[in-house]
Amino acid sequence: MSTTTLDRKSMRNSVGPGPAFHRVLNSEFIKFRTLLSTLILLASTALVMVGFAALSAWGTGQFAEQAARDPEAAAAIAAQGGDIAVTIPTSGIAFAQLILGSLGVLLMSSEFTTGMARSTFAAVPKRLSPFLAKLIVVMVSAFLLTAVSTFIAGLVSLPIVDNYDLKLDLSSSQSVKLLLVNSIYVAAVAAIGMALGTIVRNSAGGIMSLVGLFFVAPIAFQLIPGDFFVEARKYLPGNTINPMTAVEHVPDTLEVWQAALVLGAWVVVPVALAMVLLKKRDV
Amino acid sequence: MIEAKGLTKVYGEKTAVGGVSFTVQAGRVTGFLGPNGAGKSTTMRMIMGLDTPTAGSVTVNGEPFAKHVAPLREIGALLDAKAVHTSRTAYNHLLAMAATHSIPKSRVREVIEMTGLGEVAKKKVKGFSLGMGQRLGIAAALLGDPQTIILDEPVNGLDPEGVVWVRNLVKYLASEGRTVFLSSHLMSEMALTADHLIVIGRGKIIADAPIAEIITGKGQARTRVRTDQPERLMQLLAGTGVSVEVQERELLEVSGLDPRGIARTALDNQVMVYELTPLQASLEEAYMELTKDEVEYHSHITTGASVPVQAGGK
Repeated sequence: MSTTTLDRKSMRNSVGPGPAFHRVLNSEFIKFRTLLSTLILLASTALVMVGFAALSAWGTGQFAEQAARDPEAAAAIAAQGGDIAVTIPTSGIAFAQLILGSLGVLLMSSEFTTGMARSTFAAVPKRLSPFLAKLIVVMVSAFLLTAVSTFIAGLVSLPIVDNYDLKLDLSSSQSVKLLLVNSIYVAAVAAIGMALGTIVRNSAGGIMSLVGLFFVAPIAFQLIPGDFFVEARKYLPGNTINPMTAVEHVPDTLEVWQAALVLGAWVVVPVALAMVLLKKRDV
Repeated sequence: MIEAKGLTKVYGEKTAVGGVSFTVQAGRVTGFLGPNGAGKSTTMRMIMGLDTPTAGSVTVNGEPFAKHVAPLREIGALLDAKAVHTSRTAYNHLLAMAATHSIPKSRVREVIEMTGLGEVAKKKVKGFSLGMGQRLGIAAALLGDPQTIILDEPVNGLDPEGVVWVRNLVKYLASEGRTVFLSSHLMSEMALTADHLIVIGRGKIIADAPIAEIITGKGQARTRVRTDQPERLMQLLAGTGVSVEVQERELLEVSGLDPRGIARTALDNQVMVYELTPLQASLEEAYMELTKDEVEYHSHITTGASVPVQAGGK
């Protein structure tokens, strides 16, 4: 017995691998895919994206048909290069960002509300490692899901727009740009959600702050009189997507690079704050 | 080995742990005993690096917990039976924890079998009883085959069979040379499980000694004496440090003098004694004695409530 005791002690610190980042990443991915609620949220996002695209294809087709009888409207459409169908696949993006942003909140807030955080940070005491691993899992899955859903939504819309003699080319540079930029944008919203979940540590509070930032603030800023709020409204995270996807720069909106920087700042600042608080606070 | 030095945790106005220093040695079961709210869980969370001490430090095998290369292989802890996302299955919970240290699936299955969770491993933790939750927590603690094991109230909610299982498990782990640190507010459980006891009350260490020493040392040894001349014996025994209590007409309880001393006095003075029984203080009595001033929440029995009990007794 005494020899085994000695062996144990001498074996200390060399008994096996520790929590290197790729292992923590694998652990966070296991946690991600073993929750039914996560899978339900992902599936509903895909469903909403595809469903809205189909509805939008039908509506756009109706509009184009009416326009065909009205020479002036037809001229307006023609002036846009017949590109009115190109935004159909991403028409559900407002809902995708809400669902996947909430998923970002939930994945972190549930660590604290369920007590799982104690297991997580007892296994990996360097807390930023699980945080960054989770952030990667959240952002990559939000990006991939949006990209794949957009593509499927496009495929589903094709026969519908075809029916109305509209042109939709999924491989056109504007289609590819819309798919990529919207997917990056949703990944950014999911990251903001996760940061909010880490800061408030509460599911309802985190989701409400997200909704406040993306849905309430733009409307509130519009209602409050004064030039400041008109100007400030452009810098809200939810208002960065349109300038980034526009074919040509629309007057009185941000330039593409400005919008990208503003969105980047909206990700970096909350994430940095979340990391500082996670490190400092007790679990 | 766990070493705490001046470990302090203050929450706002309230001092949860007030500068405690202790050492938990390998190869024996060390009990951490104290009433609810005494600071046991806070101390354990500080050991695991989950709470940052306001002052002082604590190391495990010479290093702060967070500095270890493979923490899960160094210390396993059950801090709370509810440190689990309840929508996940027990197996997936352990699998995710194991993945951080590349612990193989075979080990996950091993700890599931070891803790008797085989049948429910693929079920969501949501439906688990408190006892099953405790078993899952213990399984997680054993996952990395750690040298040091910390268990916070492990027998809470366990059925009698589970209580015996935990008792044997911790003794076995200690016999393998591991450091086992076990908290409880149940003194009776500690008496059966622990080799060494650290008693905490209101954030302060009250006692830190082998369990036998705590039983005999703190609880005054008493002797039950039966004699047909109780008044005379009382007079004879009355002296420095000796106290005598009259229990019945011919029954006395003497403390401050051992049975041999009592017999000698009686023999020298021709007093017949027909019973001499050494009374061992139970750990429970010793514990009550130790913590009577330190309990945070005293229970008060109202006089009204005791009336029916008396009536029923008569």
